[in-house]
Amino acid sequence: MIVAPAMLSSILALAEGPLDAHAAPELRWAGLALLLPLVSGVLCLLCDWMKIRSKLPAVLTIAALGGAFATILRLQGAVGETPVVVNLFDWISWTWGDGSRFHGISANVDLYIDRLTIFWMLFVTGLGTLIALYGSEYMESDVGKGYTRFFGGVSIFLFAMACLVMGGNLVMLYLGWEGVGLASYLLIGYYFTKPEAVAAAKKAFIVNRVGDLGLALALFLIWQCYGTVEYAALWKAIDGAPASSEWTAQAIPWLLMLGAFGKSAQLPLYVWLPDAMEGPTPVSALIHAATMVTAGVFLIARMFPLFVVNPDAMAAVAWVGGLTALLAATIGMAQYDMKRIWAYSTISQLGYMFLGLGVGTSFGASYHVFTHAFFKALLFLTAGAVMHGFAGQLDIRKLSGLSKVPGFRLVSWLAVLGCFWLAAFPFTAAFFSKDEILVSAFTARDERVHVLGWIGLVVAALTAYYTFRVGFRVFFGPVKYEPGDEHHGHDDHGHDHARDAHGSPAAHGGRGHHGEFHPHAPRWAIRVPLVLIAVGAILAGWPSYRTMLNHDERNWVKTQVKQSSAYQGAPAESHGSHDDHAAAPNVAGADPAHAGHGHLVLGMDAHTAVGRLGSLACIAGILVSLYLHLVNRGAADALRRTLMGSVATRWIVVGAERKWMVDEFYDWVIRLPLRVIANILAAIDDLLLDAGIVNGLGALPAAVGRLFRPLYGGVVQGYAVTMAGGVALVAAWVIWIWLRGAN
Amino acid sequence: MVDMSQTAVLLAPEIVLFAASMLVAVLGLSRSTGTRSLVPWVCVAALVASILALDAVWTPERIQGANLLFPMLGKYGKALIALIGIGLVAVSAGSIDRRYEEAVARGRASFDALRVVRGEYYAFLLLSLTGAMLVMSAPDLIWLFLGLELVSLPTYIMVAVARTGRRSMEAAMKYFFLGALATAVTLYGFAMLYGATGTMQLISMRDLLAEQAAGPGLSATALLGTILTVLGLCFKLAAVPMHFYAPDVYEGAPLPVTAFLSFTPKIAGFSALVTVLGTVGWSGHAMVDHDGIRIAYQGLPQPITAVLWMVAVLTMLLGNIGGILQTSLKRTLAYSSIANSGYMLVGVIIGPQGGIGAMYLFMLAYGVMTVATFAVLATLERKGEEVDSFESLSGLRSSHPVLAFLLTVSALSLLGVPPLFGALAKIVLVFVAFEGGQASLAAVLLLNTAIGAVYYLRFVGAAVVNPPNAKSQDVVAVPHWWPKAAAVVAGVGIIVLPAFLSRLVDASATTVDGYIDLGEAVVSDADDRPSTSTTD
Repeated sequence: MIVAPAMLSSILALAEGPLDAHAAPELRWAGLALLLPLVSGVLCLLCDWMKIRSKLPAVLTIAALGGAFATILRLQGAVGETPVVVNLFDWISWTWGDGSRFHGISANVDLYIDRLTIFWMLFVTGLGTLIALYGSEYMESDVGKGYTRFFGGVSIFLFAMACLVMGGNLVMLYLGWEGVGLASYLLIGYYFTKPEAVAAAKKAFIVNRVGDLGLALALFLIWQCYGTVEYAALWKAIDGAPASSEWTAQAIPWLLMLGAFGKSAQLPLYVWLPDAMEGPTPVSALIHAATMVTAGVFLIARMFPLFVVNPDAMAAVAWVGGLTALLAATIGMAQYDMKRIWAYSTISQLGYMFLGLGVGTSFGASYHVFTHAFFKALLFLTAGAVMHGFAGQLDIRKLSGLSKVPGFRLVSWLAVLGCFWLAAFPFTAAFFSKDEILVSAFTARDERVHVLGWIGLVVAALTAYYTFRVGFRVFFGPVKYEPGDEHHGHDDHGHDHARDAHGSPAAHGGRGHHGEFHPHAPRWAIRVPLVLIAVGAILAGWPSYRTMLNHDERNWVKTQVKQSSAYQGAPAESHGSHDDHAAAPNVAGADPAHAGHGHLVLGMDAHTAVGRLGSLACIAGILVSLYLHLVNRGAADALRRTLMGSVATRWIVVGAERKWMVDEFYDWVIRLPLRVIANILAAIDDLLLDAGIVNGLGALPAAVGRLFRPLYGGVVQGYAVTMAGGVALVAAWVIWIWLRGAN
Repeated sequence: MVDMSQTAVLLAPEIVLFAASMLVAVLGLSRSTGTRSLVPWVCVAALVASILALDAVWTPERIQGANLLFPMLGKYGKALIALIGIGLVAVSAGSIDRRYEEAVARGRASFDALRVVRGEYYAFLLLSLTGAMLVMSAPDLIWLFLGLELVSLPTYIMVAVARTGRRSMEAAMKYFFLGALATAVTLYGFAMLYGATGTMQLISMRDLLAEQAAGPGLSATALLGTILTVLGLCFKLAAVPMHFYAPDVYEGAPLPVTAFLSFTPKIAGFSALVTVLGTVGWSGHAMVDHDGIRIAYQGLPQPITAVLWMVAVLTMLLGNIGGILQTSLKRTLAYSSIANSGYMLVGVIIGPQGGIGAMYLFMLAYGVMTVATFAVLATLERKGEEVDSFESLSGLRSSHPVLAFLLTVSALSLLGVPPLFGALAKIVLVFVAFEGGQASLAAVLLLNTAIGAVYYLRFVGAAVVNPPNAKSQDVVAVPHWWPKAAAVVAGVGIIVLPAFLSRLVDASATTVDGYIDLGEAVVSDADDRPSTSTTD
């Protein structure tokens, strides 16, 4: 341990008391949030079985997810500041011995509902409903084929996610964790006739297994160290005991981290997420951008009390997050596939969230999850609308000036809005959430992570650049497009054409050089969710606007996070200078001795400095992008040529475009040795095990059987003699034992 | 002495089933096709009624008068028998007399009351279930013996009657002959127990044996009597050394009867085993060792533990290894049935401290899985014959996807793949074995689960992986919904029941409620032995 014990104890002292949860059987209806998606999933399965060829599954799913959202909304009002535990039914609860701690295991189907749960479920179910609505139109060319399968998958995903977020113990979290992984696998491999989709699905599943192993081991160790896997009891157990120096207790946060990094696509396990874009776009938006990938952030936020006592683990989280953000941003700068760029931006933004967690601002991380969910869903869904309209075209070199294509105006402007949010343009929601994270990075108690603040600022500039690289190229400039070659959109072109005639006649105006092609414009089921999500993205900044305009008001997201396990003793939060600014009293106890101590960045107060530097980085990035990708597009190619021309700089371009060869590196370091070992083992298996041991052992029972065959072979007397002989043997043996005992 | 009137009321579930068995025997002879087709419905109604009656009459006051060693065993156990019984009726309903009934319906044969077996078949089925229920409320050895015989005698006939043909006749003869032999062993054991204690009443017998154990130690007659009884009962369980008949008889019997044989005699046998072992008790015994020093043992008296341990291990091993070599579905399931008896014996060895509850939980899982597996197989036929080879199951996935799914679920559950019911029940058994200090048995159980994978996965492989072949081309589903419904309900049960695991564990643990094991008191203080009335 590098950190002095004194510091550790002071962190512990800051920890609030355990958030005593109370049982609330009257809230059992909250279980609807799990039940409704499950029911709709089962109904979708039935629809498939009964060969229903209509949009019924979409209606069922949207209704169920809407119902789940309504449930959460109602729960929002029904649950106060203290967490509640709602027992749905008993599942696993055994005791043995005297039934004390470590003499029982209890993992019932409980819900643990605190503000963090509700906060998370609000955007999971809300976005889920809107994206399902979007999907009902997006997937319509598959009605009768995979439509039912798609909505079944979405329902099961929402069920598993609800289980993950609302479950009252780690076993339920684990089940949900595996469930979302399964749903993700099924939906990435949705186009299972495409080899790339199948490979991507397998890659996602296998890479996630590495992380899941960590989570499973962490779960076992938590039980071993604390004797419970139920949150309510776990917080008590942690609170009561001093930080254990047992290696098992020390290992828990590291293992949890591994799980979180797998699910949330962080170094070194991020490689599956870009490939996951092979799934249908609504899936990319829902699962691989807005909700499932934040499960890792949720896990660490939920288990925060286990992390704050281990500064090394916190620093590791911060570093992994910061480096992932940087790496993914550099790759994102050099890609040409729109969805892939958004995928790398997702990895990069998730990196920010982990950076936030690592420097102790569970609030900043959660806030960024919240704002990111909206604008990233918006970006993916607009990309999907473009893809839907242009027969699967996603190459940003082959699309230009879409904002002038009739029928795509709304989509384009919403996409540009999303770009501003992703670039964290000053006074957008993401600006505030990113600000929180960077300020905490600069002011963190652990000085090892301060440099990550600077990295974060660099990433902010890179983000602004690659975001608007897409924005300027695709949506502005001269109108020019080539359709993609996917049959999606081509095949059903005939009927779409007819519908467009009255649905949105404007669609016919758009003609590129590809004279025969009519992009088909999105209708209401795509437009409405887009607009609603855009409104959500704007409103996501509301808590910060209120804080800014009215200094008495506490940030809504912060109050949510504060009343949950994610805030137990969060160290950086209570010392962030930005908090001391606000007149709001700090619950975690502002320590005056630390206020304004070592928090100066460039001679300015950290909060002001980060705000200014962040704005500067964002605007600089946008300006560079404006020049290279709108004003003078030739310059971008010239720049690339120049860089490629010199041996000294060539590696930058090649490296970024080929994703820094990480996939190849894994191939060489992991897959190749495994293949070699597998081949060697297969040879051993064939030659030695199969030929010798297995066949030998296999022959043994047969040989034994043959030995006795003359005795029975179906003749009843043989059986009778054997049975009687067995009885006689046992009886003789017992008598012998008894005689020996009697002597 | 037993208050007969109270005991008679307790027998309401059995009385309902007995009355129904008489009714169906007559209904099955009716000239009207409609009346004849009512028979399975009457059976199901009677089984449901017996569950309701059980719930109504099994009150604590009545049980006190009944003088039972395990007063609460009947409540869970009889309900379990009736519940699985419904599934077994459904498995039978499609196939008994089907050829003949079809011929009658098409006018190709005229109805002849002497040629139908439906009435007898269901009457015997209900009678056998009645016997299994009677075993669970036996206050003395004679009742126990008669109950066991009532389980077995109808099954001998069921094997023969349900299908005409040499193989089922041969199977019936073998089953009867070897069954008689095993019964003789059991009876010999009972006689020795009577000789050792001078009483037939199980509760008095327990008190007298406890006295013996406190004094000079259990007499050789008592020990040998118990062990012979255990060995005789092994026939009912299909456990070593009485397991030889199982593959032959299971293969020769018609499929629904095979399903019946793999459940009903087993639960009756285990209940009888628990009842008899309850007289010697699990909670500790004093034994005299070589040097004349008294040592206290936890668990059953040591020779009995040793015998049961050996029986359990050999049963598991022989069952699973034997299963590997089979090509016939029914033979494979026979070995599976043997192996499962071995697993359940682990629970019996551990005793009332969780073991017996775990055994009955596993029995429930085993019953549900048996119904699911056999119901799927009963749904399929090939050229009017039962499907009995793995090859016939090939490509089931493409021809009957739902059946293939259900078969996969039940095979994986039998194998023990979490989170299916069979796996969780098995995990509870393993857990109990560890807690009961029988880690080696738990290890053997886990090892055997691995061996069993070889043949359970063969079901999955045949149904899901293999492409259709020449043999499986003609496999069709029978035109009856009974077995399909049973397969679906049991299959869903395998998937859904794990969600209620905690409740099921609690419910199965009630089987030992009210049982008083005197051994512990004997070891701790031989002079001041508490009497039955003061405890619990």
